[in-house]
Amino acid sequence: MATFKKIRHILYPDLTMTLALYTGLESCKELRKSVMEGTVVASLLKASMIVDPFQVIVAANKAVHLHQTNNMTTKNVHSEILYCLSPSKNISESFRSFGAADDDNSVFVVIVDDTEDKTLQRISDILGHSPTDVDAVASLFDTELIKKAYKLTEEELSVYPVLDALVSRIAAKEIITTGKGKS
Amino acid sequence: MAVLQGAEAKLYVGDFYGRPCIMKERFVKNYRHPTLDKALTNQRIKSEVRANLRCKISGIQTPTIFMVNFETNSIYMEEIQDAVTVRQHINTVQASEPNLSSVCEQLKPLAEVIGQTLAKMHTNNIIHGDLTTSNMLLEGDPKDLSLFLIDFGLSSFEASAEDKGVDLYVLERAFLSSHPNSQDVFDCILAAYKNQMKDKSASKEILSKLDEIRLRGRKRTMVG
Ligand SMILES: Nc1ncnc2c1ncn2[C@@H]1O[C@H](COP(=O)(O)OP(=O)(O)OP(=O)(O)O)[C@@H](O)[C@H]1O
Ligand SMILES: [Mg+2]
Repeated sequence: MATFKKIRHILYPDLTMTLALYTGLESCKELRKSVMEGTVVASLLKASMIVDPFQVIVAANKAVHLHQTNNMTTKNVHSEILYCLSPSKNISESFRSFGAADDDNSVFVVIVDDTEDKTLQRISDILGHSPTDVDAVASLFDTELIKKAYKLTEEELSVYPVLDALVSRIAAKEIITTGKGKS
Repeated sequence: MAVLQGAEAKLYVGDFYGRPCIMKERFVKNYRHPTLDKALTNQRIKSEVRANLRCKISGIQTPTIFMVNFETNSIYMEEIQDAVTVRQHINTVQASEPNLSSVCEQLKPLAEVIGQTLAKMHTNNIIHGDLTTSNMLLEGDPKDLSLFLIDFGLSSFEASAEDKGVDLYVLERAFLSSHPNSQDVFDCILAAYKNQMKDKSASKEILSKLDEIRLRGRKRTMVG
């Protein structure tokens, strides 16, 4: 189980963020149920919407910061991670597009402040799987879906890696969507 | 570790979860009204992030934004690797090459990239607001002409030829005062700008605005 990533928040080093990828699953149904019921506290992200663990780090970093400064849009830090990852301002749409679904065969998990990795262990137990290397997410993403969700343009894709385009949008979400003009 | 102290910001070099990062922190000026100052600083940060992203979306290279912290008025962004400012680069070329016309010859390819980039920016109605050769970076070997635009704190979104003309005028003034004897190089920038603009009547209007603004500027200095 050394394949997950546990990192300290850049501004709040006492807080950790655990990133883990599970693949080859039969379903996410039971895990989703546990999260819904509150017996597991974690963020379950749709692996096909993630091109690189860094994309998730930027969203989680932001969500924790918004949590610490009382500026969250959603109810808790784990739902905020999902919301931050999504370019949409609509909460339920964000959850629908970026949250794991019951019949997904993989899931990208983020856990804030998982003391002694207890939550991660519980998730592995429920799924009956150990996490795979988080970098393997690079082979699971759906380019077309991502292009559509984030409204990526051909101009930028000819100049940048997709990751840069996503990261900037995640970091700047509230600034670009409340500004004047198009976009 | 502070690396650079600008007029309104301090820049730190660091690491953002494994990526080379620059933190640009705008400091609040004490001599202004505190609430007004906070609002203005906020505005600058938003303008900077918004124009950075708009440029990116239009296919212009800008540093990737990693995080915005409104509590400390700072932007965390990608550090452009082995960057020199266009200002430094032009100075280096001018210092190493005593012959004026070969300086121009050497800088021509860069001038063309600058002109094309600014045309793309204006076509998308992005006004930089503070165009100088210090706010343009060359990544890696300057010969690669990998140009990045930075420092969008004074940017805006305007469709008018007047605003675009002023943007070019600001650059011209900064360019000629930072780099004496470089009118030829600046003319190359303008030629490439004109060439790149698909809408010929728009570019004509912008460049005639530039002439108008130059004239106004000259009259002002003659009177003043
Ligand atoms: N992302 C970056 N990567 C590498 N170097 C950078 C980056 N951002 C800024 N720099 C360096 O720092 C200098 C100052 O940055 P910048 O122009 O953004 O700040 P400033 O001029 O102090 O800001 P302002 O004009 O808003 O007060 C640049 O000229 C450049 O040399
Ligand atoms: Mg500057």
